[in-house]
Amino acid sequence: MSGQRVLVVDDEPQILRALRATLRGAGYTVESAATAEEALIAAAARPPEAVILDLVLPDGNGTDVTRELRSWSDAPVIVLSAVGEEKAKIAALDAGADDYVTKPFSVDELLARLRAVLRRRGQAADPVIEVGDLRIDVTERVVTVGGERVKLSPHEFDLLRVLAQNRGKLLTHRALLRDVWGPAYEVEAHYLHVYVSHLRRKIEPDPSSPRYLLTEPGAGYRLVDPGDDV
Amino acid sequence: MNAWSRRGVLLGVACSLGAVAVVTGVIFLVKPYVPVLSLGVLYVFAVLPIAVVWGLWLALPVSVASMLAFNWFFLPPVHTFTLANSENWFALAVYLATAVVVSELAARARRRAAAAEQRERESALLAELATELLRGRELGDELGEIGSRTAGVLGVPEASIELGPAHRPPPDASPHLLEAADRTVGTIYTPAGSDPNVAALHRFLPALSALLAVAVERDRLEREALEAEALRRSDLVKTALLRAVSHDLRSPLTGIRTAVGALRNPTLHLSDDDRTELLETIDLDSDRLSRLVGDLLDLSRLEAGSAAPEPELWSLDDLVREAVDTLGARGRVEIAGEAPLVNVDGTQVQRVLANLIENALKFSPSDATVHVRITATRKEAIVRVVDQGPGLEETELERVFEPFYRRGSDMRSGAGLGLAIARGFAAANGGRVWAESRPGQGATFALALPVVEVPAELRA
Repeated sequence: MSGQRVLVVDDEPQILRALRATLRGAGYTVESAATAEEALIAAAARPPEAVILDLVLPDGNGTDVTRELRSWSDAPVIVLSAVGEEKAKIAALDAGADDYVTKPFSVDELLARLRAVLRRRGQAADPVIEVGDLRIDVTERVVTVGGERVKLSPHEFDLLRVLAQNRGKLLTHRALLRDVWGPAYEVEAHYLHVYVSHLRRKIEPDPSSPRYLLTEPGAGYRLVDPGDDV
Repeated sequence: MNAWSRRGVLLGVACSLGAVAVVTGVIFLVKPYVPVLSLGVLYVFAVLPIAVVWGLWLALPVSVASMLAFNWFFLPPVHTFTLANSENWFALAVYLATAVVVSELAARARRRAAAAEQRERESALLAELATELLRGRELGDELGEIGSRTAGVLGVPEASIELGPAHRPPPDASPHLLEAADRTVGTIYTPAGSDPNVAALHRFLPALSALLAVAVERDRLEREALEAEALRRSDLVKTALLRAVSHDLRSPLTGIRTAVGALRNPTLHLSDDDRTELLETIDLDSDRLSRLVGDLLDLSRLEAGSAAPEPELWSLDDLVREAVDTLGARGRVEIAGEAPLVNVDGTQVQRVLANLIENALKFSPSDATVHVRITATRKEAIVRVVDQGPGLEETELERVFEPFYRRGSDMRSGAGLGLAIARGFAAANGGRVWAESRPGQGATFALALPVVEVPAELRA
């Protein structure tokens, strides 16, 4: 993992400086920006492989930057959010951000998330997705857990498929409802919680302490490989 | 006119006598031409006005008096109360009965007219009061006016209204409770011995009470709405403060935590430069945290009123120079003017000056000079700190002194506490701080302090 270019955007000079040194130490090439405008210019001039983006910027917010960036770049975006900015965080995720960490974050956590989003970037759209003991055949609509076939309802299957195709990525309630049930259901979050609970009973070894299908409180869900570091 | 007063009665009797006399005279004049017996009916013209104005009690005696006068003057044998002809007895009886019936009818019509007028006055007043009270006038301002107009309706010279539960009435007033929906809205006092119209009391006061009850309720709701609005605003302020504090505390914490995390992480390969940078971040952000905590403590001490100054005599220009030195900004600040003597807490006033100058430096271009000018009158010394920054909008001149206020979209300029603290310490030392500016021409922040006379022992 050497030399991958990461763009860091934060208006706090000390945070920017600490992040620059940290990421350089982890082997990344670091670009930095202190405003939304600088961030977009930097991303256009030298497209980064990933972006670490503060939600509050002097000339705009991280959500707008994410939306703008998404219109011409698929570089994963990790949002730096703070307690009290939950709504802005969800908005940024809905706008296409891939993940978030909450300030003040631990360096290990940030680096792990960064590795995860970069790893996902290389994944192709496989007809068969394997996550730990889970095997999902998208074309045949067949799911097995440890080799044993599991019977899923159509919605349960679609939910699992969307999560698996975005493996490791935090998907907001809104994004899941939109992709599985259609845009008209975007705000009916309780459908989602019920289906997630059904799905867990079918795929989790212990549904009461899930290892595959994780809840991000107040934000959404993500499907992970229990063997991964995130 | 009050028909029952002593003067009213006397006037009534006089008018009655006059009326009977006039009609008697007229009959004398007409008698040669008309059979006298048919003229008795003319006395109705005497009885009728009396009945209309004074009522039945006077009209009846006038009827009897008319009959007697007719008998005395015109019916044979004249000048006696005896009658020659029994037919005349019958005629007199008919006259008397006619007079009594007409009197009664007239008096009744008069009573009805008077009652109708009274009710019209009452309802007109109620309608007017309702309009005024519901239009949203403050009830307290209207009570005097309502009282005097109610007095008119009740037929008493004056009346006053008190809201709320009944108190002990003044000795020369009789109270009438104003009650609506089982509770006492207030009391209306009429002068003792005056004789309010009882029917009007029964009719008018309940309606007035209901109206006042509505107005009182409306006033109460308005007050509550105002209080709720004030609470909501202070809640908004608290939320804004909390958000600002949490942001300003979290940013340096994030910097420190990131730097420490990087330095302690064995998997990172940090160059010496990066290591130095991380240590500097920790250093600067710790400073920033400790300054912020200090500022917050100062602010809360000022707000709690526990920042008691310890005044000493100072030459103001010395305090300015020391303030500049604490900022390490000698090269960028030019000081000019007088050296007035002030009796203040040196540390606190230095803090005021340092905050004003630091603010001016922050908003000036990095190569620009900040000018500090000291002037003095006999009463006041004024320090003006003039910057070459973007200046302030008129609407910002006061707001910049609010805690956590940030100018424009500026996010890097600390927590927005410096000017609030400056104003607080200035006030604690008997001075004041204000801003003057026109946009595009830089801002001036001024500190005024009371000057003291140079004590005799210090005069050279």
